[in-house]
Amino acid sequence: MRSKILQSLILAACLSLAAGLAGAAETVKISAQQPLTGRFAFAGKHLHQGLADSLAYANEQGGIGGLKIEYIYEDTGYDLKRAIASFKKIMAKEHPVMNYGESTGEGKALAPEINNKYKILYGSTSFSQELADREKNPYMFVSGPTYAQQFGLLLKYIADHPKTKGKKATVAFFYSDTEFGRDPIPYAREMAKKLGVKVVAEEITKVGAVDVSSQILDLKRHNPDYCIFQGYVVPPIPSVIKGARDFGLDTTFMGTFWAMSKMLLGKLGADGEGYMGVCPYAYWGQTDVKMIKTIRDYNQKHHPKVDYRPNSYMQGWFTGMIFVKVARMCKERGLPITGPNLKDMLPLVKEWDTGNFAGKISFKDSNATGVGRVYVARKGEFVPASDWIYLK
Amino acid sequence: MRIGDYKESYAADEAVFSTPTSRFWLGVLFAAMAAFPFFAGDYLLYMANITGIAIVAALGLNILTGATGQISLGHAAFIGIGAYTSAILTNRFGLPYLLCLPLAGLAAAFFGILVGAPSMRMKGLYLCITTLAAQVIFEFLFVHWETLTGGIRGLNVPAPEVFGLKIDSEFSFYWITAVVVIIAATVSRNLFRTRMGRAFIAIRDRDISAELMGINLFRYKLYAFAISSFLAGIAGSLWVGHLRSITPEHFPLHESIRYLAMIIVGGLGNILGAIYGAIFMTMIPELLQSVLKYFESMFPQAMAFLFPLQTVVFGLLIVVFLVFEPHGLAEIWCRIKNFFRLWPFKH
Repeated sequence: MRSKILQSLILAACLSLAAGLAGAAETVKISAQQPLTGRFAFAGKHLHQGLADSLAYANEQGGIGGLKIEYIYEDTGYDLKRAIASFKKIMAKEHPVMNYGESTGEGKALAPEINNKYKILYGSTSFSQELADREKNPYMFVSGPTYAQQFGLLLKYIADHPKTKGKKATVAFFYSDTEFGRDPIPYAREMAKKLGVKVVAEEITKVGAVDVSSQILDLKRHNPDYCIFQGYVVPPIPSVIKGARDFGLDTTFMGTFWAMSKMLLGKLGADGEGYMGVCPYAYWGQTDVKMIKTIRDYNQKHHPKVDYRPNSYMQGWFTGMIFVKVARMCKERGLPITGPNLKDMLPLVKEWDTGNFAGKISFKDSNATGVGRVYVARKGEFVPASDWIYLK
Repeated sequence: MRIGDYKESYAADEAVFSTPTSRFWLGVLFAAMAAFPFFAGDYLLYMANITGIAIVAALGLNILTGATGQISLGHAAFIGIGAYTSAILTNRFGLPYLLCLPLAGLAAAFFGILVGAPSMRMKGLYLCITTLAAQVIFEFLFVHWETLTGGIRGLNVPAPEVFGLKIDSEFSFYWITAVVVIIAATVSRNLFRTRMGRAFIAIRDRDISAELMGINLFRYKLYAFAISSFLAGIAGSLWVGHLRSITPEHFPLHESIRYLAMIIVGGLGNILGAIYGAIFMTMIPELLQSVLKYFESMFPQAMAFLFPLQTVVFGLLIVVFLVFEPHGLAEIWCRIKNFFRLWPFKH
């Protein structure tokens, strides 16, 4: 029995090797490392699916000037070591020209080698400022506004919508003690000062904090008009909002991209009504947006059982759109599709109109877009509360 | 069957690799290790490098937990101390990497002694909790001592230079890892042939008896903490030299637990065990994924269920190994070896 299993395993290994050697037609290779298992799998599988579908859709639309796109992915289990291993494995075997990484950590760790050795265009699921710094990491971009810019967008909205007319709006920052949580805070403080929004409190917790009563009490003391969460996906947001409502606070709670999912609204239940936040993309429910209609039709055709796609799927899809966009720009200019050429196209993306899917996209002075839209939760769905906001 | 294994001198009796066969296979291993980078690509070399780093750290924890019986939940923190020391010494003082390596070890050893100090009054689970506290405290320092550690953004380091050569590829770093692993394994192996090593084992087996035999428990426990953290610090320095960036998120509590799992799966108190455990814990998830990838072409729709299965299978493998061989992978290896040694006889 054991030898049979062994034999079939060896056979399997040989077959896969042969299959790898067989297909060698010219394609544009795009790779991804996403957490399809592990604690971030709930988003990872959608990020991966979004990119896969976006690229398959581009292929249906004629690929990159006739060249087919080939998508290669690996699971990382949300483990830095495995993410880097997957990246190196793909680079050694497949030589892709564009890659979609899983986390801020992976981008940071790979940055020196991408800049000096691999030289491929690198997008990721992270909105970290460091990965959008063109001077430092010219090959890396952020598929939307950085966390700092997302704070900027929210603060801009807050400055324009004070709760009491003629009085400056007050805000509290509520963030986790992680890189994800702290990344935008220094910028946010500056931005608030510039916009005349008063930061009345900053609450810091551990990532999956359960007991947040002291922070809620502090919020009660300062009674801010708005409170922005950063560095959380779900907990402790529901307990904070519930606690604040129990104390009779009428603070409007807000989140950035990762705290703007329908999953969170599900957990919030009735408390979720009126929850706001910034998202760089349109939601599945906005059927009046052309690209959303395209996405829904695509899913209807290829995944008929799917009846909802979260904002992480939209991030994957939008990253795919950027990849395709810059590759087509290369092709139009008659340049070979290589990492250095793709990188040079990025700053040339200006006023790219994505309809209401992601606003007008320009990678002007940094490799992030600086555009987003404020949404508000109504009956368990996010609906636009503002038009597209652009950071100058 | 091996026969004629006579020892005619004290030197022969004391040899670690006592037979020509074992020396031959050791030679083969070294030759394979030397030839490996010339055939392997970047991916395999990367795996070899992180496995090597894991081996050095696991050897360290094996001395403290496996041999001396002091369970530590703070091993990742010591690796972190080594990594930060190495990065800071490189960035601020421009010290050469080969000097940073031992200094990172010494820094970790110093803090290891501090953390080990409560072992004077505590043992078992109580001591375990103090090491957990150390993990939390150091993690906090990595995040909040921003002037020194760069806070949550961590530090970036230039590629190390050794004898004027820039070590900026997996290939070149492999040689550093390989040499350090060989030194660490040799030192650990020989440690258990000294008074100190035997004292460690005596403490693990029965501390009161050890004390009656004249072993100063406190001092030897501190030695164990120091040596263990020293190796962890070296592993940390290797980590930062290899990755060239560190953030506090590289050294979480579950990393400490992973190292404990390594030495338990490998075989507690056994040098080979630490090595096998490190290889097992690093390579198996990768192997599982490769197997799954193969199935993907056959059942593309089933991947949503198959992928999460990796974690389950990995967990099950650990349980199965431990049920069938509580002494770990090293013991399984030992039985295989004995089979060949006695062949064609059974006993």
